[in-house]
Amino acid sequence: MPDTIPAPALPVGHYGYDQVDRAFLADRVEQFRDQVARRIAGTLSEDEFKPLRLMNGLYLQLHAYMLRIAVPYGVLDSRQMRELAHIARTYDRDYGHFTTRQNLQFNWIRLEDTPDILARLAAVDMHAIQTSGNCIRNVTCDQFAGAAQDELVDPRVHAEILRQWSTLHPEFTFLPRKFKIAISGSPNDRVAARFHDIGLVAKPAPDGGTQFDVFVGGGMGRTPIVGVHLRDDLPEEDLLAYLEAMVRVYNEYGRRDNIYKARIKILVQALGTEGYRQKVDAEFASMNRARYRLPPETVAAIRARFGTPDLNAPDDAAARLDRARRADPAFDRWVRTNTHPHRAPGYISAVISLKPAGGIPGDATSAQMDTVADLADRYAFGEIRVTHMQNLVLGHVRQDELHALWQALRAADLASANIGLIGDIIACPGLDYCALANARSIPIAQKLGARFASPELQETIGPIEIKISGCINACGHHHAGHIGILGVDKKGEEFFQLTLGGSPGSDASVGQILGPALPEDATVDAIARLVDAYLVHRTGGERFLDTYRRLGAALFKDAVYATA
Amino acid sequence: MSDVRNNRREAGGSSVITANRLLDGRIVWQVAEGDWSPMIKDARIIPNAEIEAAIAQAAARQQADGLVGVYGVQIESDEATPTPVTVRERIRAFGPTVHPDFTPAAELEAHA
Ligand code: HEM
Ligand code: SF4
Repeated sequence: MPDTIPAPALPVGHYGYDQVDRAFLADRVEQFRDQVARRIAGTLSEDEFKPLRLMNGLYLQLHAYMLRIAVPYGVLDSRQMRELAHIARTYDRDYGHFTTRQNLQFNWIRLEDTPDILARLAAVDMHAIQTSGNCIRNVTCDQFAGAAQDELVDPRVHAEILRQWSTLHPEFTFLPRKFKIAISGSPNDRVAARFHDIGLVAKPAPDGGTQFDVFVGGGMGRTPIVGVHLRDDLPEEDLLAYLEAMVRVYNEYGRRDNIYKARIKILVQALGTEGYRQKVDAEFASMNRARYRLPPETVAAIRARFGTPDLNAPDDAAARLDRARRADPAFDRWVRTNTHPHRAPGYISAVISLKPAGGIPGDATSAQMDTVADLADRYAFGEIRVTHMQNLVLGHVRQDELHALWQALRAADLASANIGLIGDIIACPGLDYCALANARSIPIAQKLGARFASPELQETIGPIEIKISGCINACGHHHAGHIGILGVDKKGEEFFQLTLGGSPGSDASVGQILGPALPEDATVDAIARLVDAYLVHRTGGERFLDTYRRLGAALFKDAVYATA
Repeated sequence: MSDVRNNRREAGGSSVITANRLLDGRIVWQVAEGDWSPMIKDARIIPNAEIEAAIAQAAARQQADGLVGVYGVQIESDEATPTPVTVRERIRAFGPTVHPDFTPAAELEAHA
């Protein structure tokens, strides 16, 4: 818990920039402004310019440029959210898309506006660095960090330390491939740690400090692999040294000849867990450990730049929430599905679903972003988290104020009660936006959302995770879906392959292909039959995933292909 | 941005040429040499036998024309408006299917 009283100016929940950080960002914006000018003048060719724009998060997609903005460890403050709303309104088409890597994407950006947009972002301590390219990408984190009752260590301070370590790390700007790190501080994995290049789980060390479980070599894409457990006792002071050694071994031995075999997961499989561990240990033993040591003073100094919420709910907060729930069944349902227990008495974390029935998962209009910013100021210390499920979270809400918050969310069409249920679908942008796509993901999500719109029905079906990717890159995490949907291309037409039994959590598993891909117009019906089959065969409080694990694929296969 | 799927061309078919505008990234279709339109209905239809040469010519002047990623798109032979054979290029031509208000036609109307 906080060991220093933060200056009031510090944002709650994330690191407060200092002048060095700000000067760096300002330089970076001007550098890119110059590069854009040279590109427009023609002195830089597209081939020369592309790596430069990607380093600043700017992609060329199907219809326009896309700008991916980093939200380090998924935490935003209200001022930043308002700026994103402003950018959406002024430079894009009035909305933004929150992604599974807790970032935000704008889909209709003009190249010529980008330097101004980056300057506006820099003014609120934001940027688009490390959102693309073969570098260490934005570190993702538990959306309930610092709030969850089940959390052992708040991982955001370490996420920030990793951000500072990896930003512009001279050795790691040209890795064999992109590199993604996730960190959690709870034994209940909400960050898909086992599906990342490196997954870290912080926990208390026997000596009272902090240590880490380390997973390596997980990933999705063309070769989905659950990461292996490398060690369970990495001391905090060796965090950077050991990660440095892990990434160095990858940088040295990772394949650069074949883009599909370049991720660390392939190296770990090739060397074997033991082989990889030995190489890392040898590197670790030979490096200048003093240089990379992370002393408690440094951790404390970084922690001191985080604002902390002043949590003091009235004694009757919980009782008042109980009364409000009894009086209002719709609110009660939302509390059941869209909240998470808080460590502090009288508080609760609220999940704002960006999955309205029939809507586009992860999209928020600029008006909604402004509303969320206002509500965060009013109810949650101005702090907002983006989840890898493409929703938003207000981490610290007083229980006696939750009903008022919910009413305000409902007025803004932000109160869908479906977190963790069938309507809470992850979908990548797919062929509607993405230049790499085989098929559209969003329309399938919309049709499923509409089909299962009823909150009662969703609660009856219970916890189930549907995840949709428009191609094998798996940005929509389909491999980790209880039901995964993968878009494939057959002679220019869209087909969808179903996988069952994936899970992103502590019980991570890769979904297995059920059978031949289905045409677009048969996919939603097939999933409805599959869900029916589950409802018939489940026992007790079994989740879909448990029923699948108990009974296997055959009955679901029958349900899907019987009439198809 | 091009895509390998666009390199599959039928011998007897026809294609149109497309690119993204450098400044705003938006999609355009070649009407004539040096003349591009956001509307695929304006596009010049080129027999596949001649398409490679036409693409090369357009690509050679893409910087001058303010374009990136010039490539050819095969179209259906039996449609009045040039209609790409693949879903991908149909979405490029007619806009994201999830935002009916963002189609090129709707946009032109909005600006008219
Ligand atoms: C629209 C532009 C996008 C492009 C061009 C793109 C490209 C890619 C590629 C090429 C891969 C495979 C990398 C590999 O296996 O080595 C990948 C994986 C991934 N992308 Fe995207 N992506 C895009 C959008 C997104 C979005 C919107 C999200 C979040 C919703 C996202 C999150 C991910 C994740 C989580 C993975 C899989 C995890 C992994 O293997 O690391 N991407 N992306
Ligand atoms: S999974 Fe494929 S279609 Fe979807 S965003 Fe990633 S690259 Fe694009």
